Amino acid sequence: MANSDTLERLVRRVSAQVRRRRVEYYTLRGAFWGSLVAVALLIFKAPLAGWAVWLAAGAVGVGAIAGALWGGLKRTSTADAARLADRAWGLQDRVATVMEWAGHPDRTPLVDALIADTLSRVERLEPRAAARRLVPRDGRLLPVPLALAVVLALAPAIPVPSGRLPDFSSGAEEEQPEQRAASTMTDDRSRPATRDRLKPLSFEEKEFATRSGGTGAAMSGDLSAVFKDTALSAQRPDFQSFLKKGDERLKLLEQADRLPDLQSDFTTSQYKMMFKKSKALSGGMRPDQISPQKLKELLEEMERLGRKGGSTWQGDAAEGMEAMEGGQPDRAMEAMQRALEKMRAQEEASRSGKNLKGGRESSRAGASRDRRGAGGEGGGPDDQDFGEGEGMLPGKGRSNSPKGEATQRLRGNPYDVGVEGESRRGRKEGYDTNMTGRAGQMGSRLQYLGVIGQYRKMMEDAIARESVPRDFHAQIKDYFQALDER
Amino acid sequence: MTQDTRAQEFVNSFERLRAEVEKVIVGHREIINHVLIGMFSGGHVLLEGVPGLGKTLLIKTLADGLELSFSRIQFTPDLMPADIIGTNIIVEDADGRKHFQFQQGPIFAHILLADEINRATPKTQSALLEGMQEASVTVGGVSRPLPAPFFVLATQNPIEMEGTYPLPEAQLDRFLLKLRVRYPAIEELNTIIDRTTQARTVSVEQVMSGARVLAYRELIREVPIADHVRALASTIIMATHPLWQQAPEVTRRFVRYGASPRGAQALVLGAKVRALTEGRFNVSVEDLRALATPALRHRIILNFEGEAEGIDTDTLIAQIVESAEAVTAQGKEAFVR
Repeated sequence: MANSDTLERLVRRVSAQVRRRRVEYYTLRGAFWGSLVAVALLIFKAPLAGWAVWLAAGAVGVGAIAGALWGGLKRTSTADAARLADRAWGLQDRVATVMEWAGHPDRTPLVDALIADTLSRVERLEPRAAARRLVPRDGRLLPVPLALAVVLALAPAIPVPSGRLPDFSSGAEEEQPEQRAASTMTDDRSRPATRDRLKPLSFEEKEFATRSGGTGAAMSGDLSAVFKDTALSAQRPDFQSFLKKGDERLKLLEQADRLPDLQSDFTTSQYKMMFKKSKALSGGMRPDQISPQKLKELLEEMERLGRKGGSTWQGDAAEGMEAMEGGQPDRAMEAMQRALEKMRAQEEASRSGKNLKGGRESSRAGASRDRRGAGGEGGGPDDQDFGEGEGMLPGKGRSNSPKGEATQRLRGNPYDVGVEGESRRGRKEGYDTNMTGRAGQMGSRLQYLGVIGQYRKMMEDAIARESVPRDFHAQIKDYFQALDER
Repeated sequence: MTQDTRAQEFVNSFERLRAEVEKVIVGHREIINHVLIGMFSGGHVLLEGVPGLGKTLLIKTLADGLELSFSRIQFTPDLMPADIIGTNIIVEDADGRKHFQFQQGPIFAHILLADEINRATPKTQSALLEGMQEASVTVGGVSRPLPAPFFVLATQNPIEMEGTYPLPEAQLDRFLLKLRVRYPAIEELNTIIDRTTQARTVSVEQVMSGARVLAYRELIREVPIADHVRALASTIIMATHPLWQQAPEVTRRFVRYGASPRGAQALVLGAKVRALTEGRFNVSVEDLRALATPALRHRIILNFEGEAEGIDTDTLIAQIVESAEAVTAQGKEAFVR
């Protein structure tokens, strides 16, 4: 009952449609590939003579027939055909369900109702194409090779190049066949000779030929001569003579260590830095024109520098800050000037002869002098001995570093790294720390991408556990995304 | 009575019940359909929406249209499991002897309205777990069956709102469907105003008994489903799992956990009810498409990326269904296979 004639007819009809569509589909594909073969045959039609056109037409035909056979022989399953019928007529999977459930062991009474319903619907169906026509991509491109094949068939045969390369040596160039025969590297030289015919002799080749001194083996355009030309390789620029004749400044380059470290000298001078800032602040202005905020910042910085110990201007800076807070910019300016004076005086004092920097060499010399002073005469690091109560504990004994005492060297070298900090104002106790020296100006070398990956995972876990309010999710994600982009 | 007649009777009863509900509830046709589909599938339904959209009224009206006992629990943060299930109390008989007697909680009803279920703590929410799955509750080591049919209709406010506790995944999975109640359209709002601000009261007739509901549940299980439709249902469920080899890109990117086999059951059972209500005796691909969103939206847990990107689960499910159809034979041309 289930596989009634009506349903089977429908499925057979759909299967036949599918087969037709497949034949069309694969015929187009076969014809396309056959036409490509035809084009190839027609390109080389000269040796094939009159057979080429027939062979090309045959290739297209064979391709199409092969495709049609392939499409026609492909099996269409009943389930596929039933599904296609359902889709084509909007039967909402009724036919496919009936085909499956008609002989199903768990067939329920409702299946009978389904079969009856489906049959009544199928009988009312109007004939329609269940399988739509599908043109393959190859099929859409088929006109191109076909047109090409027609053009090639009508056009004269393309001359097929023989296996021999054209004999360019027969031209009217001034090439010497005897010289070529004399050489044992005939094959190697044939290529440059060919190029010579096409291109004028280059400058380099002429040079090499001349420099070789006409030794016989080297001739015009012979690049192999370069490797034989030992005279060329022997020629090196005479830098010594250049130095003798040259600029006196070149000598200085030989003594790079003697150059004064101007940058270090300037940046480590607190007075100069502060003076520069104060000049920038007050240049051409009256005290009432100066921004109180900037003046306050300058005084704060002076006060901070003064806190490092050994300073005499800290009191003046503090007085200036008080004056600022009291709304007296004139007093603050005076205090700043006094502080600057004291800074300058301290700077002058520290610039005694032995402390004056003459460059890296002198600083090294100074360091070794210090070391000698501390460790005794001629005492190298190995010769040094610790005195009573001295040792390797921090703060005890002499440093055996060849560079000298670290404290003395502080800020002496721009590559030295220091950390300075100041307490942060606010409700909670906190400190802001900054690196000093050149390292402080450099970007972080910590591979934070690895750390960020860990943090990101922790953050994702936290969010997944619902411990982060939902409203913050996007914000947190944006934050980590911003870090990733850096 | 032939199956055809029984099916037709079911369709008529379904439509009558819906008509009764629609006497009170304006609009929300799809929500009403899905609530009824959930009831006839033998599952429980969760309705989500902001306060004032008529969720509770819908359920109360549905209970009025059925000859079934109804109880309502207003979930609050201080609600305890015993307030739902019941507890043993000491009673004294005529002889003066004392013994424990079980005092039934409000869960012992055919239709249970768990109003604002996500306002209670997870512990109290979990009190419903056994009842929803096994249709029985255990108190003091004694298992007590719940009346059949037992049908939980819960409402919840969106979890972004203050004072809500998200339902545990295990609890969510026990709901056959999760429905989102949306704002009514302006025409519907006008009708709501007219109906609710006038003196005329609407009475709802009882159109179906409990026995009839159980019989229909049996009928629904007889609806046949073709292999390729069932395969599509399974593929949809598998496509919600990010670790499945053929899972679509959206799943891999945004989903943390996919739907459970309960999701597949919900999908197919719901599709069977829908097929009958549409006057069909078989499940079609259309039914799966229609039921996929309410059956799966609460079973897909988004990962961090999905949460942060604000991915809508409904849109995600639509994409998953589309990709599942492409994976199965459904999306391929028959003659190029």
